[in-house]
Amino acid sequence: MIASSFWLPPNIAERGSEIDIIISYLHIFMAVLFVVWGVYFAYCLVRFRASANPTATYADAKAKTSKAAEVIVIVIEAILLVGFSIPVWAYYRSEPPTADKNPLTVRVVAQQFAWNIHYPGPDGKFGKTRPELIDEALNPIGLVDASEDPNRADDYVSVNIFHIPKDRDILVRLTSKDVIHSFAVPLLRVKQDAIPGMEIPIWFKATKTSEETQKIMTRAYAVPESAAGRRAEKFINRNRLLITMSKNGSVPAGTTLTAEHLKTLIADGITSVDLAPAFPVNIQCAQLCGLGHYRMKGQMVIHESDDYEAWFAEAGVEEVFEDDEEEDD
Amino acid sequence: MSSDHTHNPGFIRKYVFSVDHKVIGVQYAVTSLIFLFFGFSLMMIMRWQLAYPGDAIPLIGGWLGQYLVDNNGVLLPEGYNALGAMHGTIMVFLGVVPLAVGGFGNYVMPLQIGAPDMAFPRLNMASYWVYVLGGIAMLASFFVPGGAANSGWTSYPPLSVIANVDNAHHFWNGQTIWLLGMVLLITSSLLGSVNFIVTIVHLRVKGLTMFRLPFFVWAQLVTSFLLLLAFPPLEAAGVLQLMDRAFDTSFFMPTGLVVSGVVRDEYAGGGSPLLWQHLFWFLAHPEVYVLILPALGIIGEIIANNTRRPLWGYKTLVYSVVFLGFMSFVVWAHHMFLTGMGTTMSNFFQTTTMIISIPSVVILTAMLLSLWNASIRFNVPMLFALSFLPMFAIGGLTGLPLGLSASDIQLHDTYYVIGHFHYVVAPGTIMALFAGIYFWFPKVTGRKMSTLLGHLHFWPTLLFMNVIFGPMLIIGLRGVSRRLWDQTEYVLGAEVQGWTVMSSWGAWMLGLSQLPFIINFFYSAVAGKKSVENPWKATTLEWAAPSPPPHGNFAEVPVVYRGPYEYSVPGAKEDFQPQHLSDAKLS
Repeated sequence: MIASSFWLPPNIAERGSEIDIIISYLHIFMAVLFVVWGVYFAYCLVRFRASANPTATYADAKAKTSKAAEVIVIVIEAILLVGFSIPVWAYYRSEPPTADKNPLTVRVVAQQFAWNIHYPGPDGKFGKTRPELIDEALNPIGLVDASEDPNRADDYVSVNIFHIPKDRDILVRLTSKDVIHSFAVPLLRVKQDAIPGMEIPIWFKATKTSEETQKIMTRAYAVPESAAGRRAEKFINRNRLLITMSKNGSVPAGTTLTAEHLKTLIADGITSVDLAPAFPVNIQCAQLCGLGHYRMKGQMVIHESDDYEAWFAEAGVEEVFEDDEEEDD
Repeated sequence: MSSDHTHNPGFIRKYVFSVDHKVIGVQYAVTSLIFLFFGFSLMMIMRWQLAYPGDAIPLIGGWLGQYLVDNNGVLLPEGYNALGAMHGTIMVFLGVVPLAVGGFGNYVMPLQIGAPDMAFPRLNMASYWVYVLGGIAMLASFFVPGGAANSGWTSYPPLSVIANVDNAHHFWNGQTIWLLGMVLLITSSLLGSVNFIVTIVHLRVKGLTMFRLPFFVWAQLVTSFLLLLAFPPLEAAGVLQLMDRAFDTSFFMPTGLVVSGVVRDEYAGGGSPLLWQHLFWFLAHPEVYVLILPALGIIGEIIANNTRRPLWGYKTLVYSVVFLGFMSFVVWAHHMFLTGMGTTMSNFFQTTTMIISIPSVVILTAMLLSLWNASIRFNVPMLFALSFLPMFAIGGLTGLPLGLSASDIQLHDTYYVIGHFHYVVAPGTIMALFAGIYFWFPKVTGRKMSTLLGHLHFWPTLLFMNVIFGPMLIIGLRGVSRRLWDQTEYVLGAEVQGWTVMSSWGAWMLGLSQLPFIINFFYSAVAGKKSVENPWKATTLEWAAPSPPPHGNFAEVPVVYRGPYEYSVPGAKEDFQPQHLSDAKLS
């Protein structure tokens, strides 16, 4: 089910709903407990205020109900722990996709402030890397020359754009070049610290393509009144890379929004547009990693299986870095 | 001893380098209140950037200096990180702990056990001045090249070790001074904790058995053990990190780091960044209970006094607090579920985390049951104390999704965490500390605080605390990472930006809401209505001393005849029976 509860973002991972279920059950449990306590609390404040009850009772109230309540709390916590959290964690931590599922294995090397995605290519083997070969612009993960390691020949490195196929297990070997980062994709219910000196495996399977996710994340936005001014700039900025999906045709669906478009919309008397993010599946860094922590953003591009193969066939031919993210500090 | 208490030591010895626990308590309280407001001000600056990313900070933007803002007065990302790191450090280590333990503990605890002073008065003075030195170090770090520490209050290596080391002032920069400051602050806590334990064990007056101790004293005793046992590991870790920074050792630095394209082979390598996290959280989780337990102690005193009946299940409360203390040492790694932890470790730590929630539920339930059949007086301290209960409940409950490792995957390092622990510490502990200030103010100054200003302080404070922290839970559920200079960079962040704006306005309004308190505090200290010795008709020993108590506290050493909360005893003349009055005197 896609409809998000408790403000959770849409889930596009095969087993992400298991986490959502725990979060939802927990919040229902918390809400019930809080309301029960709250009603009792409010009743006491009114019923036992000094003017209504001038003399307090010395003896402790009998607490059968509260003892029962405590036992219920313990039992529910135990159920959530043993029945839900432990098994779900086991999937996330100790049941990697087996070889017969043909997972796509990728190395992700985090750095200040970018995500390097290292594909092994058709041979499925990663080329060797050496720290001293690292060149921020040309060889961000320090791959050796193909003459030294033939496995490296068909490897491909993408910066910040992480292409994957839908409905296939993805196995990520996560590490970092410099400081601790955290690879977080809220829509895929994935988060894992990237720690230098350690390579930590994580896995997930997307059930929606980027395009399908875009449709889910379409929302109506109010068009700011002053189209030319600073507010419009902010509007576009804050809703970065959003494209219009529809609305009476004055700006066709699929267009990337600009200040010019806003003027057109306002001229046509349109006050609200449906917008969807061009790249709906963001990779965030979740661990403070320096001054660029906030902009350590990657994009997941989730293809249909065939489209992914086509993309890789083309991308793998030449060493292209889509995004020349030369970051400095 | 008595001659010692009658001689006139002169102004400096009496008010500055005093060995009197009450003067030191007040010094701690005033210093930490100033730090609390300063730490909060840092956050009010950050909230501008969060609400209006990239806009110049109004009014003060031009004055904040090159390490915090650019030429236009816009907060820099590194400035934001510095303010964030220093906000956390200052609020915890220079604000709440010194106020709860150094302030309230120092002032109230010896009075409540009938002691003339702490067991080691000079150690007590040393503890305060070492704390002041730590505070000065932290403040000074804003002015050194590169500005204050900016690697978070958790200072995770390798980030913290490489921070600012490449500028010309290799050693004297923010992170180094932060580490030195932490060593001083931890030393101060250690000195204090030894003093508290010895005082509580040895200086109780005749008749004051352990199970006649006020709940507040129990809370301080357990807190002191936490300070004594949990803080040394971080002190050691701080020194190790200092070595990594200053002398290129590799306690926390792994092999093969490449930072900005440069191989950092000056570090020998072979260290583990996770070692720091274990040492840090081994301190910092018990630290949470150092923040909470004194608050619970204060709440217990005020609830018993204003319900006019004994605290429900006194012994249960004591056992729960002791159990909490023990358990707080075996839950630390629930802060580290996402560091690559396997199932065995995570199962252990999520189980202990669920177990530690039980005594917290028991304590909250006991406080709530104390209200049953009570005769509740709604004075200002009681309002703050009552508000603590639901706020602490939200704080505790929102800990559950973070304590279970599976739900933590989604919520870890998001705003949900920020919302959770602030509900525990801000609308929780800080409300309790306010309650304590209003409650014991007449004892300390001999004067009452204004009730009207108290109400003007309480209601907006309660409202705006929730306006600030409620939205954070929503932003966190949405999946927005914490510590982002501009969350609108992300689709999900942009979607919930409205809640962030609301949270910011809540923070600024909360700042304004403290004006009635500041006025009340200073005005009442000088010109408030005179208070009698025992204005709240309370039972514990501090109310047997004059207001304010003289050096040496009690004119004659009191003797204790009964438990701490003998309110509304059937057949008694008055609805309270002070601990120090014999049955003969009461009838």
